[in-house]
Amino acid sequence: MSAARRRRVVLGLALALPVVMLVAVAAGSVPLPLRGVLGSLLHGLGLGIGGALPPSSETILWVVRLPRVLLAAVVGGGLAVVGATLQSVFRNPLADSGLLGVGAGAALGAVAAVRLGWAGTTFLALPLAAFAGAMAAVLVLYALSQALGGGTLHGLLLTGISVSALAAAGTSMLLVATEEFRVKTVLFWLAGGLDGRGWVHLRIGGLVMLGGCLVLLASARVLDVLSLGDEEAAALGLPVHSARLGLLALAALVAGAATAAAGSVPFVGLVAPHALRPVAGSLGRHLLPAAFLGGALLVVLADLGTRVISPNVDLPLGSVTAFVGAPYFLLALRHADARR
Amino acid sequence: MSAAAAVPILEAESLSVRRGPRLVVEGVSLVLGPGEAVALIGPNAAGKSTLVRALAGLLAPAAGEVRLRGRGLRDCGRDAVARAIALVAPDEAAPATLTVAERARLGRYPYRGALRPFTTEDEAAVARALARAGVEPLADRPLATLSAGERQLAALARGLAQEPSILLLDEPAAHLDIGHQLRLFRVLDEVRREGVGVLAVVHDLPRAAAWAERLVLLARGRVAAEGPPATVLAGPAAAEAFEVAIRAEHLGGRPVYLFDEKPTPRA
Repeated sequence: MSAARRRRVVLGLALALPVVMLVAVAAGSVPLPLRGVLGSLLHGLGLGIGGALPPSSETILWVVRLPRVLLAAVVGGGLAVVGATLQSVFRNPLADSGLLGVGAGAALGAVAAVRLGWAGTTFLALPLAAFAGAMAAVLVLYALSQALGGGTLHGLLLTGISVSALAAAGTSMLLVATEEFRVKTVLFWLAGGLDGRGWVHLRIGGLVMLGGCLVLLASARVLDVLSLGDEEAAALGLPVHSARLGLLALAALVAGAATAAAGSVPFVGLVAPHALRPVAGSLGRHLLPAAFLGGALLVVLADLGTRVISPNVDLPLGSVTAFVGAPYFLLALRHADARR
Repeated sequence: MSAAAAVPILEAESLSVRRGPRLVVEGVSLVLGPGEAVALIGPNAAGKSTLVRALAGLLAPAAGEVRLRGRGLRDCGRDAVARAIALVAPDEAAPATLTVAERARLGRYPYRGALRPFTTEDEAAVARALARAGVEPLADRPLATLSAGERQLAALARGLAQEPSILLLDEPAAHLDIGHQLRLFRVLDEVRREGVGVLAVVHDLPRAAAWAERLVLLARGRVAAEGPPATVLAGPAAAEAFEVAIRAEHLGGRPVYLFDEKPTPRA
């Protein structure tokens, strides 16, 4: 865990991300030439180098692909930072917004907004409802884990399962009662995806997610102190309860924004921080940036997968991350059990 | 009464602490002055750990008060309390991948809070704490790779990094072999010489008697005896609390305590 190795890993991720994003922007049902894409991007940045692609390609690049890939990166990064935060707050290395029901809560909020027709009529109704759902799930989870002694690895996960199931049940009830023309929109949120996402989603959702991540990064030391356990944290002068609630609210804000932008994208919050913890260490100021980069990389790749694996149908993004994340989770769980 | 006890840093007056419905500490008064070495002894479930946590301000008193330099803990502010009082308790809660040095650095939280960057003063305090606790060679090792005893010393390093006026320890020697135990108590004596008052829960009575200037015997939540080790251990309260017969022999000028099982009927 030398500092040099940690820096190499973070630097490697930071270098890999733009390269992978460039490939993701170029690849798809209409492949664009890599050099042309790079030229157009540099030209678009006003650097006075490079040059525009043919008009149709320009449109694909600037209107369709670029905001989508940027959003994928921010969603992935945001979810990974949320996962790392939840892992520290609950002192559980396998915490994740999807596993703990925070994603399901956000989805319930989003679906409710669609069902009630607010999503189409009221500005920001959908992200706000997703945030409210995520926040409600976090609060229920926190209250239950305190009351039921969910402080253990399995206790918290089991509590998360019940919160998830509760939110999913609510979503199903809404789904049954939803007019047919809205069902597809609803299903979209449940499966996760970045189809048809553009600059407007990036501008609003991206701002909230990046802002939330920056505040969480600024709170890294609080996260570190909390991870020592309630007693030691309190003995170091931290107001444990309000600190935890504040961090959970921020996590819910980012998770809600991510869900509003991309629907349910499970396991990213688990895989990225969990895989990077052994190299990045536990300190928030090291782990959170590494997790952000790792999560961004993961979702950009997963979104690329949804577009290139089957040329005719866009696969659901959430399914792709789950196909990767679920086996990872089982391995991590087995490893955690073997260690105790 | 020593000069130290005349100007107490930490003072409990008629302190009672509840845990759930049960009154675990009842009417305890004690003082801790600069540079003092006090061992808190008592049978299991006597309320020692609860008392230590209440002294650190982690548990609110049901009655009575804890004062830091004459002011009630509640009026002092969290940060000020955490700068003055460090608590080192056995725990396995810290994340497995946190390193010893990172853990010690968190001891500076009461000084720097969430945002202010560390100064050279902070770095020096952390380095001193690591060296003093004898964990400097382990500084970059993750906690998961350490033995229980080494983790205990890492926790002590965090407490020392707080540069407190009062060091409270709950069974600091629990996982330590004899060599590490002797080193631990030597470290405690070193910080005492700098004026830090040290109160430690010690289960090993001969060790408590050898190290402490004063023993406080807690039995069923109350102070059953208090004073110089020889006096407390020779008194009837200690024998009754532990339900043993205690005998002191002298070997090379040092008292050696011998214990024999002696069931005493409880009142």
